[in-house]
Amino acid sequence: MIGYYVKRLLSALFTLFLIATLTFFMMRAIPGGPFTREKPLPPQIIAQLNAKYNLDDPVIVQYFSYMKGIATFDLGPSFKELGLTVNDLIKQGFPGSMKVGFVAVMFILLFGIPLGIISALKQNKAIDHVVMVMATIGVTVPSFVVATLYIYFISSKISWIPITGLSNPLAYIGPAIALSGYSLSYVARLTRSSMLEVLRQDYVRTARANGLSEWRVIGKHALKNALIPVITYVGPMIAAILTGSFVVERIFSINGIGRYFVESVNNRDYTVIIGMTVFYSALYIVMVLLVDIGYSLIDPRIKLGKRSGD
Amino acid sequence: MRNLDFEFVDSSKKASKEQTRRSLTYWKDAWRRLKKNKLAMIGLVGVTLIILFGVVGPWFMPYSYSDQDNRFTNIPPRFEIYAIADDGYVFLSSQYNLILVSEKGELLDKLVRTNMDAINKVYTYSYNGEDIEVDFKNRLLEDDGGIDLKVTYKGVTSEYPTKTVSNKTFVWGSDNLGRDMLTRVMYGARISLTVAFVATIVNLIIGVTYGAISGLEGGLVDDIMMRIVDVINSIPLVLYVILLMVLIDNRGLWTIIITLGSVYWVGMARLVRGQVLGLKEQEYVLAARTIGVSKAKIISKHLIPNTMGPIIVAMTMMIPSAVFTEAFLSFIGLGVSAPMASWGTLANDALAGLSTYPYQLFTPSLAIAFTMLSFNFLGDGLRSALDPRLRKG
Repeated sequence: MIGYYVKRLLSALFTLFLIATLTFFMMRAIPGGPFTREKPLPPQIIAQLNAKYNLDDPVIVQYFSYMKGIATFDLGPSFKELGLTVNDLIKQGFPGSMKVGFVAVMFILLFGIPLGIISALKQNKAIDHVVMVMATIGVTVPSFVVATLYIYFISSKISWIPITGLSNPLAYIGPAIALSGYSLSYVARLTRSSMLEVLRQDYVRTARANGLSEWRVIGKHALKNALIPVITYVGPMIAAILTGSFVVERIFSINGIGRYFVESVNNRDYTVIIGMTVFYSALYIVMVLLVDIGYSLIDPRIKLGKRSGD
Repeated sequence: MRNLDFEFVDSSKKASKEQTRRSLTYWKDAWRRLKKNKLAMIGLVGVTLIILFGVVGPWFMPYSYSDQDNRFTNIPPRFEIYAIADDGYVFLSSQYNLILVSEKGELLDKLVRTNMDAINKVYTYSYNGEDIEVDFKNRLLEDDGGIDLKVTYKGVTSEYPTKTVSNKTFVWGSDNLGRDMLTRVMYGARISLTVAFVATIVNLIIGVTYGAISGLEGGLVDDIMMRIVDVINSIPLVLYVILLMVLIDNRGLWTIIITLGSVYWVGMARLVRGQVLGLKEQEYVLAARTIGVSKAKIISKHLIPNTMGPIIVAMTMMIPSAVFTEAFLSFIGLGVSAPMASWGTLANDALAGLSTYPYQLFTPSLAIAFTMLSFNFLGDGLRSALDPRLRKG
């Protein structure tokens, strides 16, 4: 048991190490370097800048100091936003992304799972068809379309719903809908199909034969197993959503890391791009790790130490 | 054996021994079941339509994606026209350009604005030496009394639009440079679909080769190869697509294709490996090995043809997600460069003027949603048609 956790942790760390290394050398591979401008800077200034950011050191030395930085959670300075470090940007952006992401995840769990269950229980009835058609549309419409349609049809027409920013609680609705649309539909579909499968199992029939109320059969026996595949999906999804969608934050002008990331992409602020990539990846890997561990605790059928797919 | 021992059978007896039902190949059987699935057929029709729209559509359009007409910028697909005496009809665009239109809705010319009285909200335009006064006070009032504009020409004021007509010159409206939206969405379809198809094929080649080698070799090679896949799988791939795009820093079509193609093959590799693991234990693979067929040949002649079903399903699902990713990349400013435009670029361009020119966002968005929906329906249908386990007869 402990051995399995240690193994998973080590492999997560190894993946992070690979990502950091890869991104570092990708940054090195950029032709020109970080201070290349359309109007070239005087060579003295470039020399000064290079000296300030230790860019004159041999690559291997830079690599070690960069890795040391990552190990101590220091992602380095921004080359474009003067005086700010990548850590500062993450600190500024993370709360906004977290808040919107949290609301979106709540939407997904509170609507997606119940809709899936209802759909499965009323299989092939009208309500099932309605939910599934909605879910199919939800999976196929991109978030930026949902967001812009929301702004056009709802928040620009109804004056007490703010269009941008996060000034009052109502402002969360739009970003949360846009962020959760895809996952909500996916979770509803996933819950439905896994619920249908579980309902056919013998133990559910046994529970019914024993005279348990339908409520107890579904709520206690079927749901517990039906939710396992949903949890697998929800874990990484939470990581992806909490860190915010780049597009949604941009449309709703929310100060989140997604927005900073897109801005850094447009400014070609390489250290920020790389730093945020490492940060995102770390968050993602940690979430997957947590889900895997949680998974092994919930589902006794999973044999520890065995890789999936074998 | 002499001929005398045998006698000829006449053809009627021969016929009775023939099979009464033609045997169906795997593909014929799949097609038969696909045809029964209504949603899948809707998807197939949708996919065909969208491909025709992109490939054939531009041939029938009088404009190219870069043709600009500075007179007719931001003209919506439908507008209200006001009669000016017997001399024709005009329409006031959201940019307060007065456009001369025909009764049917063809755009004729932009009238010259001679005077702007911004305080009284009256603009004056000149037409054939006569003044047309357009009073748009009511448009800005809370209570407009049911009147939008007052158009005065030769002393006659019309307070109500004559009618609402569809734009005959630009069926889907024009953008902020006076380019035809329909043509641009058609060219957008070309770009988006090209990116999606080529990226999917690149993914397919890498994924199938990787998966087949890993599955067939087994042992240590398989372990190492699958470890690499696990690592790649634990990385949020969108980030790497963005990183690669930033690195290559060349906004060509090929950059996007290569980036997308080089990143999303992992799922395909896993799928093929799983299939190959099962198939390689089959007798025909053993037979091929005993007569010394090379591994490359076993993969290409025996293993891949037998995994074609799941591969095709995965491909149909990969195409819409490639369209999606491309739209997303274009939307955050990493798409193909102007004047070419994919659907994502079009949507991004329309974002700034959303409240005034919403139609510019709706058409590319609808095109994206329509494509995704069609491919998803088709993919779902193919999955149930090609998966032998779901076979019901």
